[in-house]
Amino acid sequence: MRVWVIPAILAVAGASLAISAAYGQDTPATTQELLRRIEQLEQKIQSLEQAKQPTVDEKGRQAEAIEQVEQKIKILERKRELEDEAAQAKAKEAPIVRAGKDGFGLRSADGNFDLRLRGYVQADARFYQGGETDPAPDTFLMRRIRPIIEGSVFKQFGFRIMPDFGGGTATIQDAYVDGNFSPAFKVRAGKFKPPVGLERLQSGSELLFVERAFPTNLVPNRDVGLQLSGDVFDGAVNYAAGIFNGVIDGGSGDNDANSDKDYAVRVFAEPLKDKEDSTLRGLGIGLAYSTGDQSGSAATSNLPRFLTPGQQSFFSYVATTAATATTPSVPGAFADGSRERIAPQFYFHKGPFGLLGEYVRSNQEVSRAGVRRDVKNTAWQLATSLVLTGEDASIRGINPRKPFQWGQGSWGAFEIAARVSRLEVDDDVFAGSATTRLANPRSSAREATDYGIGLNWYFNRFSKLVVNYDQTEFKDGAASGDRDTEKVLFTRFQVGY
Amino acid sequence: MPIKWLNRISAIVLSAGLLSIAARAEVTLLNVSYDPTRELYQDINAAFAKRWEASAKEKVVIKQSHGGAAKQARAVIDGLEADVVTLALAYDIDEIAARGKLLPKEWQKRLPHNSSPYTSTIVFLVRKGNPRAIKDWPDLVKPGLSVITPNPKTSGGARWNYLAAWGYALKANGNDEGKAREFVTKLYKNVPILDSGARGSTTTFVERGIGDVLLAWENEALLAIKELGPEKVEIVVPSVSILAEPPVTVVDKVVDKRKTRKVAEAYLEFLYSPEGQDLIGKNFYRPTLAEVAARYEKQFPKVALFNIEDVFGGWQKAQKTHFADGGLFDQIYQKQ
Repeated sequence: MRVWVIPAILAVAGASLAISAAYGQDTPATTQELLRRIEQLEQKIQSLEQAKQPTVDEKGRQAEAIEQVEQKIKILERKRELEDEAAQAKAKEAPIVRAGKDGFGLRSADGNFDLRLRGYVQADARFYQGGETDPAPDTFLMRRIRPIIEGSVFKQFGFRIMPDFGGGTATIQDAYVDGNFSPAFKVRAGKFKPPVGLERLQSGSELLFVERAFPTNLVPNRDVGLQLSGDVFDGAVNYAAGIFNGVIDGGSGDNDANSDKDYAVRVFAEPLKDKEDSTLRGLGIGLAYSTGDQSGSAATSNLPRFLTPGQQSFFSYVATTAATATTPSVPGAFADGSRERIAPQFYFHKGPFGLLGEYVRSNQEVSRAGVRRDVKNTAWQLATSLVLTGEDASIRGINPRKPFQWGQGSWGAFEIAARVSRLEVDDDVFAGSATTRLANPRSSAREATDYGIGLNWYFNRFSKLVVNYDQTEFKDGAASGDRDTEKVLFTRFQVGY
Repeated sequence: MPIKWLNRISAIVLSAGLLSIAARAEVTLLNVSYDPTRELYQDINAAFAKRWEASAKEKVVIKQSHGGAAKQARAVIDGLEADVVTLALAYDIDEIAARGKLLPKEWQKRLPHNSSPYTSTIVFLVRKGNPRAIKDWPDLVKPGLSVITPNPKTSGGARWNYLAAWGYALKANGNDEGKAREFVTKLYKNVPILDSGARGSTTTFVERGIGDVLLAWENEALLAIKELGPEKVEIVVPSVSILAEPPVTVVDKVVDKRKTRKVAEAYLEFLYSPEGQDLIGKNFYRPTLAEVAARYEKQFPKVALFNIEDVFGGWQKAQKTHFADGGLFDQIYQKQ
């Protein structure tokens, strides 16, 4: 089919040209004109297209301008980057000022120098209800006013200074230096709490009750010495061992009256603290022991007295009485040899429930009128608590989920607590005649038992209101027999950070 | 009896504690260096630690600190406990000796080659194809050209760059200081940004794509080509440049205090050993040990070099004239 199509087209085209030529003589100008016009139009289009498109030079100039703008933008961005780097470097060198839940602080940029300022204040009220007469006047008092200054240099070395202005007197409670070489090996030197009593080792701001229980009467408060301590077995066991000047039961000291020293060692374990599923995860159990050879004299007994929760003395050894015109001097009791304390202890916390117990036996050789006796005094306590608002109970206090906010319906945390505590003085203390016995049962009780209940309202982690009622019963201690039961209502408003 | 017993226990506990500290101890050195030596000292440290452990039976961990040389020297003067300093130029170590009193004034005489185990020089790094047709120093002062170089106030490399340019201008103008100043002033008019160190300038040029030419340590330029490939940047070797001699030394007061003198000195001596020199060559620094230098000869371009002593009368004079506060650099450089 294609064979005949092409010749046919050619024939038609030839005929067209012939016809065109035949009539061409009448229209030659028109055709040429049209062709010329077409040519002109093509030129115009070309020139327009050329006018629309930049020349090579123009292209280069535009690219250069764009590149210059891009360079300027990049330079500005880089300058900004360098300024940011410089600002960051400067910030790294600047000291860091902190104000927060751990107090106020100032730290060098490299962390080598750190200074922290903390503290707490306790405003108490005590209302006594004794027998016929109140054992002490009802009173408001500032129980503890303790600013705390802590610091560290080169991270491994630190210090702490804590004075106390409570009760209107100024004392240094803590003043020590630390060498924290590793979690397992720390050295502390200065004045601090020897590692013996469980409740004594708790901070005064974290106590369950306003006043500590009877075992604290039989352990040292603060002493000057040197201690090694650390956490081992992934922190499950804490050990502490130290050598100290030696202070009487419940006492504090800044100086030593003799060259004999007390040695104290304590091991406390929280064996299941990392076992999240274990019921006994919050169990801590420990044993403390101290020993020394401490003596006094008839003039300076170097012996303790014991206080009730209401901070009233209910036991003291017989003191030397001075001679009068009609009577000779009667020598009193004094420490005369070995002193030894043993203190098993534990706590347990599970959710909002808390339990704390400790037992202390304190042996001290005591002499009077040439007779030496090994006095064994004992004390124990069992305290329990329940956080009504559901927060976790802890040896370090309660952290309310919803801190108290006035008018916002947020009330903080509430905790109830109860305890039983007893101190028993060795019967040997009361044996003998008026001139040989170590204590007078008509003025010193041989046993005191305290029953306490409490309600703690934690406004937030840093402030709380505590209401306690303590009732203490005695055996002996009064001319008529048993000393009157002491009933005390305590309140405490505490703010600390 | 119990007291004696406790005395013994106390002694045992204390001894055990001290022993445990000793057992955990390892020798550490801090090498405070200038900006572009990171890769070099990573290699040197690994090799030296291996050798020291084999010979001295002691584990050594070498920490590195890098930054602009002047900044680094100031940090050491201000208390950064460097066992050794390996800086870009002798002046900064002189400052540590003079202001910090941490080492003797004659420190530079203690090791061979003026305590410089390696040398380097200053070259140009340009973009692939050298689109701005940069061939030598005069090209850098053409209007519209963008030159990248760090700040001579903080960077040792930048001071070498500056002096290389000044030295060229002196030679090209018959030691005419006025013309040299004019030349360098024009050059710094083309500098849009001053990084604090040489590595920062490399980042500006290579990574941020800023500028037409980077004045660079030869080792830094060769490293850039090695890492980026010749399809991105290329080196232009000027007709003349400066012989840079970065020195090293132990910091006497620090090593005596930290009881690290022996290992610190061995560390620096290692730089002069064939093994150390080989690592120096591999990292594009010019070795000073002839046999090793010969091995690496081909990787370094041939360039006529002048030294600072001959042209500027030494670092102390150069520093005072050009880089001290109110010096020539402060007079000619105007922030853009």
